[in-house]
Formats: sequence, C-alpha cells, structure tokens
Amino acid sequence: MLPALCVTNLRKVYRGGTVAVDGLSLTVEEGDFFGFLGPNGAGKSTTIHCITGIATVTSGKIEVFGVDAVKDYRKARALVGLSPQEFNVDVFATPVQIVDWMGGYFGIPAAERKKRIDELMERFDLTAHVKKPFRALSGGLKRRVILARALIHKPKLLILDEPTAGVDVELRIDLWRYLSELNRDGTTILLTTHYLEEVERLCRNIAIVARGKIVRQGPKEDFLATGGIEGAYLAATGAKPDHIGAGAA
Amino acid sequence: MAGTDIGSVTVNWIGLWTIIRREISRLLRVPIQAFVAPWISALMFIFIFGYVVGSRIATIGGHKYLEFVLPGILMMSIVNAAFLQATSQVYFQRFMKYVEEALVAPLSYAEMIVGTLAAVVFRTAATVIGILVIAAVFGGVKVVSIPEFLFWVVIVSGIFGLLGIAIGLWAQNFEQLTVLNIFFITPLSFVGGVFNTVSMLPPWLRWLAWGNPFFYFINGLRHSMIGFNEAPEPLGAVLSLTLLVILSVGVWRLFSVGYGLRE
Repeated sequence: MLPALCVTNLRKVYRGGTVAVDGLSLTVEEGDFFGFLGPNGAGKSTTIHCITGIATVTSGKIEVFGVDAVKDYRKARALVGLSPQEFNVDVFATPVQIVDWMGGYFGIPAAERKKRIDELMERFDLTAHVKKPFRALSGGLKRRVILARALIHKPKLLILDEPTAGVDVELRIDLWRYLSELNRDGTTILLTTHYLEEVERLCRNIAIVARGKIVRQGPKEDFLATGGIEGAYLAATGAKPDHIGAGAA
Repeated sequence: MAGTDIGSVTVNWIGLWTIIRREISRLLRVPIQAFVAPWISALMFIFIFGYVVGSRIATIGGHKYLEFVLPGILMMSIVNAAFLQATSQVYFQRFMKYVEEALVAPLSYAEMIVGTLAAVVFRTAATVIGILVIAAVFGGVKVVSIPEFLFWVVIVSGIFGLLGIAIGLWAQNFEQLTVLNIFFITPLSFVGGVFNTVSMLPPWLRWLAWGNPFFYFINGLRHSMIGFNEAPEPLGAVLSLTLLVILSVGVWRLFSVGYGLRE
C-alpha cells in the first residue's frame, strides 16, 4: 500500500537565504493520525506549505498517495485538504460562499456542492451564521468555517495546522470527536499543534521537527514509554522546561 | 474532479467558472467603484468635450467631433477598467492571502489566468455598454463594424488585463499598484489620439504618436466605429496581437515559477 504522504529530503530556502526546512524526510501511512510537532519557527508550516503548493520546493521530493506533488500537482492537490493556521479567506464573504468557492475550485458539480455545504454547515453548527460575513464571526466560528472549507471535497489526506488554536473547550472536544470519526472512516490526518494533550489523545504516530529537521519520529507508545510526549518533545527540541516555566510566569 | 480532457490536458471547467463567478460576486459588492465611477467619468468627457466643446468644432474627416472623440473616451475607459480589474483582483487575493485557496486546489496556471481575464472582460464589457448607452443619449454612437469593434475591445482588455496581473503580482503595497497607470497609461493614452488626430500635433511630436501603442488601439477602435483611421489597421492589429502573445507567455511564466504567489 502506498503511503499517504512521503516527503524525502525536503529543503526549503526562502529568498533572503533563510533555511526553513533542511533535508526533512517523513512518511505518513494511509489511515494514520499523525502528530507533527515542533516549536514555533521549526519548519512545520513551511513543510505543510510545500506539500500543499503554497510554497515552492527548493529541493527534495513530495508524494501524496504516490503522486508527485510538484510534477503532477493537480492530481496531488485533489487528494489533500488543508486547514491552515492563518485565516486566509476573503473576510467579506459568507461561510457558504467561502466553502462553495473552494468546492468549485475542486471541480465539484453545483448540486453535489450544495448538499455537501449543507452537511458541513450543520456539522459545524454554522447554520445560524451562513449569511454573516466572515469578519463578523467569532474566532471559534471562523475556525469552523476554515475546517468546513478543508473538508468540502472529502480529502483523503487532511492537513490541520493548529486547528484548535484560540477555540473554546467545547469546540475543541467536539472537533476531537469529529476528527476521530473522520480518521476511523479512512481519512489520513496530519496534525500540527502545540497542545500535547491533543496529540496524546488523537495521534498514533508522532514526528518532532526542530531547526528544519526531524529530530525524533515513532509510534506514540514509544514516546509514552520514555517519559511521555512532553519530556520527549523537550529533549528532542533542546528546550528547557524551567525556561518555559519562567516564560509562562 | 469534473473536467474535460483536451489532448493530454484536463480542463477543470467548474474550477474555471468558479474563479469567474467569485470575482463577479466581489465586483457586485463594489458597484459604484467598479461600474458607476467610469460611467460618470465618461459622461463628463462626453458632455464637455463631445457636446459642449464639440459643438464649436468643425467636423474631423467628415465626422462630428462627438463621434470622433467617443472611441478615444471608450478606449481610455477600456484600458482603465481592464488594468484596475486585474491589479485589484490579483493584489487583493495576495494581500488578504486568499490566493492560497486557489494554490491548494487542482487549478492549472492557465485556468487561473483565463479566469482572471474573463472577469476583466466582464468588467470591461459592462463599462463599454454603459458608456455606449450614455453616448446614445447625446446621439454620438455609431459602430460600422461590430466584429472589428469586439476585436479591439477584447484584445485591449486582454493586453491590459495581463499587464494588470503582472503588476498585481509585483506590487508590495497599494502605492505600487498605481505606478504604471500614473506614469505610463494615462500620459500615453492622452497623447495617443483620444481628442485629436495625429496631424493636429506639432510635427516634432508626431513621432511620439507613431511609436505609441495607444495610438493603434484608439485608431483601431475609431475605425471600427466611424470608419476613420490614420494608420493601416492591419499593422495595429498585428502589433496588438504580438503584444498579447508576449504578455501571455510572460504572465504564464510568472505563474509557473510562483512569482508573487507562492512563498
């Protein structure tokens, strides 16, 4: 069986010369719920941007279900759904328009799109807000719209870049439940988050990235058996817990 | 993904139509800026230059001054509508980052470019129709060759749409969006024969008209409307088509390397 995602020696150097990703290799098996962790600026979002086409690849190879994401980018894009960290939407548009346009971009016929939008609006409790412009929605509602947009074309690989940042506890728990259902139904999920509890609850495999490289990768159980995810994270990234504690105080 | 195979290339028709209808819906959110402003501007030009001043000017090449000046006013409006539409469409997508929605979707560069240009043609067509209606009130509308008229409207929309896309990709702020318009488009369109014939210019300035692409655009549209021309029309058509091809290749290249689009 082909892996859902295979990244080989990915390197991304920005125009100013900043090396954001430096020889990163990663494999996510089909059906996995994969945690992609790392401190801010480690290269997580850049890696995701390279996979999804938001960033150009300096060198290396990315395959999505065996399809080259650079050479055969249109086929690869059709397989992936992205919920980005930032709200990259037309803020004057309504939730229905935002999701509808994305469905159109993915080539979904109008009748099918309408049905799917209704399902998603209901699923994410957006029905009461469908006529409001995006900018008038609360942070939690905005995050739901972004998720609905990522799911409009029923992607085989769903990439979630900090999907629960800034959302309330109820939505977070509801989202965890929904993501678990999606994964159970066969969707492969790659999740980046700073909430280690989320990773512990949802993910089966974990990779930790620091300074553009994978510094540790393996099944969640391996992390739990060696001092827990937090300890492994701190050891792998070289961060000091007392420093973090001082920062929080 | 629903699409049609053309040779080895699949066209994502629904995606292409979505780019167009999305932009039209954005335009309909700002109708005063997009449509009413150029209509009012054209009304003022037609009223002052065509009607008030024109009534005191003898005919030019056997045509009333209003009939002579209308193609020039139309061409200025087409150029502005096409350029502003393309720059604002591309730059706003980049500025608000929703260009990423298209980048993560299975859309080809050609579909993105054609979709943008289709929205340009829509805005230009709406502008042209409005101005023709206004001009009809003053009795100045004549179109001797509709195919020729449509050729010039579409070709010039395409040229300035492509130029607008390139500027929209290049600009880093709102100020830069206006640079080309202020220093290139407006001055060249004014000396390209909007209000006068080349023979009215001082001899030492005539070379500027012959080397000015706007002169050929205005001349072509004027010929299609009233049959009056100062330069061989096929020359203008060939120059314009060449410019269109060069710009198409250039813009496609910018998209394919992700210039201004991808990180």
